[in-house]
Amino acid sequence: MTGDRGGAGDAAVRVRDLRKGYVVHEKEPGFLGSLRSFVSRRSRVVEAVRGVSFDLAPGEVVGFLGPNGAGKTTTLKMLSGLLHPSGGEVRVAGFEPGRRENAFLRQITLVMGQKQQLIWDLPALDSFLVNQAIYEIPDAQFRATMAEFTEVLGLEGILKKQVRKLSLGERMKCELATALLHRPKVLFLDEPTIGLDVNMQESVRAFVQDYNARYGATVMLTSHYMADVTALARRILVIDRGEVVFDGDLARLAEQGGGGKTVRLQLRRPATADELGRFGSEVRVDGLSAELTVPRALVSERAAALLAELDVADLTVEDPSIESVMASLFGARAGQAGQPERTPEPV
Amino acid sequence: MRALAFKARVLFATRFAEMAEYRAEVVIWMLSGTLSLVMMLVWMAQAAAAPGGQIRGYSAPEFATYFLSTWLVSQLLVVWVSHELDFQIRQGTLSPQLLRPVDPMWLHVASHVAERLVRIVPLLVMVGVFTWLSGASFTREWWAYPAALGLAALGFSVRFLYEYAIGLLAFWTESSASFQEVVWLVYAALGGMFAPLAFYPEWVQRVAVWTPFPYMLGLPAQLLAGKATLAQAGRGALVLLVWLAVFWVVRLIVWRVGLRKYGAVGA
Repeated sequence: MTGDRGGAGDAAVRVRDLRKGYVVHEKEPGFLGSLRSFVSRRSRVVEAVRGVSFDLAPGEVVGFLGPNGAGKTTTLKMLSGLLHPSGGEVRVAGFEPGRRENAFLRQITLVMGQKQQLIWDLPALDSFLVNQAIYEIPDAQFRATMAEFTEVLGLEGILKKQVRKLSLGERMKCELATALLHRPKVLFLDEPTIGLDVNMQESVRAFVQDYNARYGATVMLTSHYMADVTALARRILVIDRGEVVFDGDLARLAEQGGGGKTVRLQLRRPATADELGRFGSEVRVDGLSAELTVPRALVSERAAALLAELDVADLTVEDPSIESVMASLFGARAGQAGQPERTPEPV
Repeated sequence: MRALAFKARVLFATRFAEMAEYRAEVVIWMLSGTLSLVMMLVWMAQAAAAPGGQIRGYSAPEFATYFLSTWLVSQLLVVWVSHELDFQIRQGTLSPQLLRPVDPMWLHVASHVAERLVRIVPLLVMVGVFTWLSGASFTREWWAYPAALGLAALGFSVRFLYEYAIGLLAFWTESSASFQEVVWLVYAALGGMFAPLAFYPEWVQRVAVWTPFPYMLGLPAQLLAGKATLAQAGRGALVLLVWLAVFWVVRLIVWRVGLRKYGAVGA
C-alpha cells in the first residue's frame, strides 16, 4: 500500500470517511449485576469516529477541537497508527499508519500526557540517548537538536535530574523534546499543555511554534486551553460525536457559533441587565463593566443606540471568545434530536 | 550493522542502569523463588529416612545438588514479560512504545538480560552459602558448565518467547495473568522443580519429552549434578532450538493479530 504514495497527493495528512467502532461491555452495578454479566455478557458497538474526512497541507498547524468523548483522541491514535480504523482511508506522510512501518514512525510523533517515553528512574538525558539510538540519529544532528531544544525549552540544569524528581512542567518539556528529537515531519499533540501553569503553557506554545517554523512540520493539536489553539492554529477542525462539524478559520468558526459579536462596555453610571437586554443577548454586568452579544449585522446600529441611550465611557466590539463559540456550537448540537452519543472516556 | 550494535549497546546500558536502581529488590525477589530449596529439604529428609539412605539412586547430598542446581538454573530463566505486557496493554502504556521504530520486544529483552547481570553476583554468593549448608557437590566435569549455561540461555529464550505470547493474550482478554499461572505450573512440574522427571509416572515422562520444559530446567540441573551426558545436552539443545523457532513464529503471529485489537486506552 505504501507504494501508492501518489494517492496522498501533496497532503501531509489525508483522511477519507474514517471510522472507528468499539465494542463496549455493559454490566449492571452490584453483585447481581456481576452474576448476570458472568453468565451472559452484554455488549454493544459505540461508533467513536463516524466518517471523518479532511486534508492537512505540509507545514499547516490545525487545532482539533471538540468536547470530551467527541472522537479527537481516537482520531489522533488512528493517524499515528496506534488504532486500526474500522473503515475509511488514512494516509500520513504518504504512509498507511496502521502498518507501522519504520519509515513512517520516523516521520511522525504523538504526544499524549506527561508520562510517555521518559524512563522514570533515570535522568532525562538517558531517554534522549535511547531515542538517538532507536531513531539512528547521527551524533552531529543529535547534538545540534539537543542544543536547540535546550535553549528554546530551557532544559539546562534538568537533563541530568532523575525523571521522577522533575516537576510536571519540567517533565512535559522533556517529553516534548524526547518526542521531537528525531525531527518528525508530522506532529500529533494531544493536550500538550494540560495541567501546566501559565508560564509553562506559554513556553510549550513557543516551542511548538518555533519547531513548526524551523522544520515546516505539520501540526495537529487538541487542547482544552483555547489560548493554545488561538496562538498556534490558523485552521480549526471541530469534531463532535465522531463527525467533523466545522472546518475553517477562527473567524468563520465565530460566525458559525452564533453569528454574534461581543460588545464590551465601560459605563459611567450603572445599568441593569434588563436595560442592557434591549440591545443584545447573553448580558453580563459586573459593576460598571458590562458585556453582551449582538448580531453581526446589527453591530453598528446597536453600538450607536448604546452610546446614545446610556452613559458610556468606553465601548469595544470583539469577536466572541472561542470558548463561548464552542459552548454555543455544542449546546446547539446537544439540543438536536437523534444525535449519537459521545464516546465514554478514556478512548 | 554498526547502528544495530549501537542500538543494542545503548538499550542494554540504559536498562542495566535502570535495573541497578532496583538491585535490593532483585535480591529479595531471588529469595522469594525458593520452591526448589523447599523441595530440596523435603527430599533430603525422605532420602535420609529411606532404607539404604537413597531414593531411586539419589542420596541426600545428591538431592541437595540436584535441587540447588534447579534453583540456580531457574534463577537464570526468570521472565516477567507477560506481567508487564498484561499491564501495558490494559493500561495503554504500550502506546508510546508502538510509536518508535523498534519492536518493543527488544526493550524487554534488554531489561531481562540487564537484570541477569545485576542478579549474577548475589546469585553465586547464595549458591555458595546453600552448597556449604546442604552438603551439595557439583560435577567436576568442566564441559558440564558451558553446556548447562548454553541450555539455560536457550531455555531462557524459549521461555521469554512463550511468556511474551501469553502476555499478548491481554489484547483479547481482561487479563492474561491466569494463563501465565497455569503455564508456570506445567513449567515447574515438567521442568523438574518438584522432583526429578524420572520420579514421575511413565506416561507423564512420555508427554514431557515432547515439551521444552525438561530440557530448559531439569536437563541443565542434571548436568550440574553430574547425572546427564554431553550427548543428552546436545539432543536437548536441538529440541529447544525447534521450540525456539515455533515460539518465534507464534509470538510474531499473536503480536500482529493482537495489534489490530489494541484499544490504546488511557495513555
